Amino acid sequence: MHDFAYLRPRSTGEAVQLLVEHQPGARYFAGGTTLFDLMKLGVEAPATVIDITRIEGLARIDASERTELRIGALAAMSDVAEHAVVLREFPALSQSLWKAASQQLRNMATVGGNLLQRTRCAYFRGGPEFACNKRVPGSGCAAIGGANRGHAVLGGSEACVAIYPGDMAIALAAFDAVIDTVSPRGERTVAVRELHREPGATPHLETVLAADELIVRIRIPRGPVGRASTYHKIRDRESYAFALASAAVAVHIRDNRVADARIALGGVATRPWRATEAERSLVGMPLTRAAARRAAELAFAGAKPLEHNAFKVALGIETVTDALMLAKDRS
Amino acid sequence: MATPTITNRNTPRAGAERVDAHDKVRGATRYAADDARPGLLHAALVPSRIARGSITRIDTSAAQRVRGVRTVLTHENVGTFDTGGFLMGGGFGFQSFYPLRSAQIAYRGQSVAMVVADTLEAAREAAALVVVTYEATPFVATLDAPGAEPLAQTAVLPQPMFADRRVGDAEAALASAPVTVDLRYTLPAQHQNPMEIIATVAEWNDGVLTVREPTQNAEGVRHGLARQLGIEPAKVRVLSPTLGGGFGQKNSLQSHTVLVAIAARALQRPVKLVMTRAQLFHNASFRPASRHHVRLGADRDGRLVAAVHEIDQQTSRHDLFPSLGTEITSRLYGIGNYQGRERLVRTDVQTPGYMRAPFEHPAAFAFESAIDEMAYALGRDPVAFRLANDATVDPLTGKPFSSRHVAECLVKGSETFGWARRTMAPGSMRAPDGSLVGWGVAIGTYKAAVAPAIATVRLNTDGTVRVAVGGHEMGQGMRTAIAVTVSRTLGAPVAAIEVALGDTTAAPQHLTAGSWGTATALPPVLEAAQRLMEDLRKNAGGTAGESGVTALALLRASGRPFAEAESRRRAPGQPEQVFGRLTGGLPAAAGPVYPDFVAFSFIAHFVEVRIEPTTRRIRVPRVVSVADCGAVASPRTARSQVEGGVVWGIGAALREVSEVDPRYGGFLNADLAEYVMPVAADIGRIEVDFVGKPDTRLNALGVKGLGEVAMVGVAPAIVNAVFHATGKRLRRLPLMLEDLLEG
Amino acid sequence: MNDTPTLRAADGKPALSRRTFMMTTAAGAGVAAACGAVAATPEAPANPHAGSQATRVTVNGKPYELALEPRASLLDVLREQLGLTGAKKGCDHGQCGACTVHVDGRRVASCLTLAVKTDGCAVTTIEGIESPDGTLHPMQQSFIDHDALQCGYCTPGQVMAAIACVREGHATSDAQIREYMSGNICRCGAYAGILEAIREAAPQMRRSEGARHA
Repeated sequence: MHDFAYLRPRSTGEAVQLLVEHQPGARYFAGGTTLFDLMKLGVEAPATVIDITRIEGLARIDASERTELRIGALAAMSDVAEHAVVLREFPALSQSLWKAASQQLRNMATVGGNLLQRTRCAYFRGGPEFACNKRVPGSGCAAIGGANRGHAVLGGSEACVAIYPGDMAIALAAFDAVIDTVSPRGERTVAVRELHREPGATPHLETVLAADELIVRIRIPRGPVGRASTYHKIRDRESYAFALASAAVAVHIRDNRVADARIALGGVATRPWRATEAERSLVGMPLTRAAARRAAELAFAGAKPLEHNAFKVALGIETVTDALMLAKDRS
Repeated sequence: MATPTITNRNTPRAGAERVDAHDKVRGATRYAADDARPGLLHAALVPSRIARGSITRIDTSAAQRVRGVRTVLTHENVGTFDTGGFLMGGGFGFQSFYPLRSAQIAYRGQSVAMVVADTLEAAREAAALVVVTYEATPFVATLDAPGAEPLAQTAVLPQPMFADRRVGDAEAALASAPVTVDLRYTLPAQHQNPMEIIATVAEWNDGVLTVREPTQNAEGVRHGLARQLGIEPAKVRVLSPTLGGGFGQKNSLQSHTVLVAIAARALQRPVKLVMTRAQLFHNASFRPASRHHVRLGADRDGRLVAAVHEIDQQTSRHDLFPSLGTEITSRLYGIGNYQGRERLVRTDVQTPGYMRAPFEHPAAFAFESAIDEMAYALGRDPVAFRLANDATVDPLTGKPFSSRHVAECLVKGSETFGWARRTMAPGSMRAPDGSLVGWGVAIGTYKAAVAPAIATVRLNTDGTVRVAVGGHEMGQGMRTAIAVTVSRTLGAPVAAIEVALGDTTAAPQHLTAGSWGTATALPPVLEAAQRLMEDLRKNAGGTAGESGVTALALLRASGRPFAEAESRRRAPGQPEQVFGRLTGGLPAAAGPVYPDFVAFSFIAHFVEVRIEPTTRRIRVPRVVSVADCGAVASPRTARSQVEGGVVWGIGAALREVSEVDPRYGGFLNADLAEYVMPVAADIGRIEVDFVGKPDTRLNALGVKGLGEVAMVGVAPAIVNAVFHATGKRLRRLPLMLEDLLEG
Repeated sequence: MNDTPTLRAADGKPALSRRTFMMTTAAGAGVAAACGAVAATPEAPANPHAGSQATRVTVNGKPYELALEPRASLLDVLREQLGLTGAKKGCDHGQCGACTVHVDGRRVASCLTLAVKTDGCAVTTIEGIESPDGTLHPMQQSFIDHDALQCGYCTPGQVMAAIACVREGHATSDAQIREYMSGNICRCGAYAGILEAIREAAPQMRRSEGARHA
């Protein structure tokens, strides 16, 4: 790794200004658990690192507003996971956090940074000898026709089938959370479900954010649907591993019928995947296991398995079904 | 070491404390990479990006321009150095191929250059700037690739120890057996992945090379380096006092060590190389992939009458790493007709080698799974079936076992586990939460080998004791077993005993592997300590007869400044010349066949699995393991060895696979996230017990080995349990979720 | 003096081989080490680690003023510059926990922490856990008593993680301990002993340190 310039702004304005000044080749740097990891692999090589973690006021978890929970982008994953309001009103969010990584990494990583986590695909990470359109546009995709057991059955393209690996974004997508950003062009708000792009023909473009855009806040609408929620995560070992399939699920049951259902999939898609058709199929019905299973099957109806990951469809269906039943138990 | 007052009230585990635990919990134990003195230079390796071919151009100019870089070694400028040979071919290395001796590329990840710089950061930066142009040639990456041609081991390795094992006429007996099974099993390549990455520190002083490296074979490294550098072995010293895990990957001379020595000599500074975790997957040995074909025949009374076990095992293109799995499956039971056949399959990879129970774990997985299938074919309880087919003498040689208590392991384990409550039918047991419950059993065995060793024990008037013997402490507790034994014999406190291990200037350092370490070191240590006591008593006259008198008291009474005694021991049946191999750094272990007996350790594992009905996640909430390893020299560390072996078995059965993409070669999942090893949440209750009957035919202490038998049989016990839970026979490791999912 | 004859370049400096010499003269050698010319220099540069970023950090209660390269990890700075080799490198990518230390009381993976980020922080390593008089921390003693280690390489990270785990309030049941200690891989497989050790040390810690979290 070449050495890089290290800057430590004290305000968001200063951070944005520094990034613009040092563009291209400058990156915002929060906990570093994604960026430093990829820099060691040579996948990322910024010339200038802008450490945003000393900006005041961006780490607060603010539950004072009745309609929405506000989480500063610099809040640590571990802190959000244990926050009383998160535990009570959005248990799926808490679970999606503490089921990710390890406590060491959760203490370091910020929720803003976690949204921007990059894929674990071995061809992306493994070195220049592997064809990877995400790393080197136009170089091909070694996962297609290769070792793709861990890759996507939803949202892939001929150029890329890499999984979006994060857990928290799945829960946030289920809760219709939004993020607020600042940039030289001002402030804007982006729905979490619209934050991540599918690879299409441009797998190197992973989000709708501009390079100089800084996430400052996550906001989650508070309401009846969050409390009976769960994040169910199936992986190759019991902990400290990425998802083979996961589901952030929330249900609001009134008079024994589903009034609102949220289903978002992780571990199976190139971006957090809201299964809206599946959700709609549940509304107005009692939430039986059979109904849950039908919804789960709908969620995976468009799945396109690759040579080695067809099991993700069956696994995903079981995961969503189980998750809906777990969420139901919470209501 | 002062003993501080302990105010807490722990209930410690049984047995003496591990003697190095105090330092280890304080982070005070020094491993090779902990050398950080001023002036040390840092090295970094550059890996090959292709799987086979040659380097046509290597450009180090950008690398050399990095601030702090001292040199960049390539095959073009490193000068000449000799091969260190191959451990299995009269040499010292884990493979006969040594990078940087030519432009040849033999496997992806092979080192093509080494940078040396003032700082680690500069070395890594420069390593990434070395530009290599290759000419790539076709290669064979896996055991089952087209073009991967199996060679009969008997044809290519003519030595008797590699011959096909045979007794009776298994094919004929199989043909006439009333009940037969014919089954194939597959195991993947796996990597040892000790927590401590391989690191080398080399320095020269007045023409003497000192190398600090975690190695299980300090003498082999010493002689190998001497050969490579063309210097006298007396000019090389190797120190490996404590390894952060070995598991076989640190068994022999590594192929990079000489480069560090060359750099240190040229730059006249100590040089430290710490591989990256990813490089560990390609720059040292690993467990080869294997295929097994097991055919068993039995009569209707439940007696096994025939067994044929054929193994195909992966090797490299440049070396023949032998397959020895049939050495144990021919002895698991008393089967009068046995045929083993082993074949080696060349692939373009670094030479595979020894990874904990290298042949025994895969062979036992296949055989014990097949035994379970046969038990069910006969309608017999799996424990009863095994007991009914126990051996009384070695089927292959006809010799008696020095000791064999596998029946007791099965009976004891069965009682502890509650096996009597098992219902045979698959899927017949369920947990209250709806999980499928499966109970499985398997046995394991591992040879009780012994190597020659020379031990000295010295007592000083200040009360300190120094023990020097050949051996390497990698967490198995060898230091503890030695210290405890000497403490008992001399009446000296453990804290006063220094045990020098892994130091080629203290005593000749035979390879510590094959579970023979403690069985090798302990007898000469005991004998030396006993000789010391005897010597002191002889000179003490009147006080000698008093019981409980310590060696120190006798020494002080004698007026001598110190007392020292030596012992040299070799395995039963070994000639005196074997000490020449010991001091020459060559492997000299004997066993399991000795002149008057064969010697094996045994174990029985009982496993409960619970399978989530929907996602088919397999959990292992409890395991009971009962081991027959002779006398238990150090109960606390022995229990930990078995617990560790069970964790390894769980990893081998349910987690670990070194993935290969045949288009690229090498190993794709070369990190600790994607190479999946068990974590704390994967491990449930493990109960360990020992038969504890000393094997005094093997040595005076009655100890057999434990470190590897601990793992053998765990994987088939798990897979047999999965069958019991689901009715599905799985014959490929590791088991994955998709193996049990429908649809 | 080496036994092996050392080839010398025309300027009298030792070279690895004639070919090295030819390469470096072609590149304009004879100039200082910055050009990568092979030169055997017994003396070390003043501080080869010196970098641009002033960093004030307290480690185990001792204040340091360091000039660091931004790219240096906290793990490498502890080990290679401060002589604190207790924290271990097992993977260098946050995948094993062997490098676990505390920064401002929280457990972190020091291999993925930029050392410059610890400016103004307090770092605690395994070396700083025992009492000044050498009395072991209850967690350390418990590890010994339950043989929660074998080769010892992961042990400093395990102890640091275990202490934090208890203080976080994540050691209230076996299942919780297993889950919250899963970030520390033990290849020797000492998990059973580690669980026992934490189970036994946790109430002792709570008694002596008082409750910190719910």
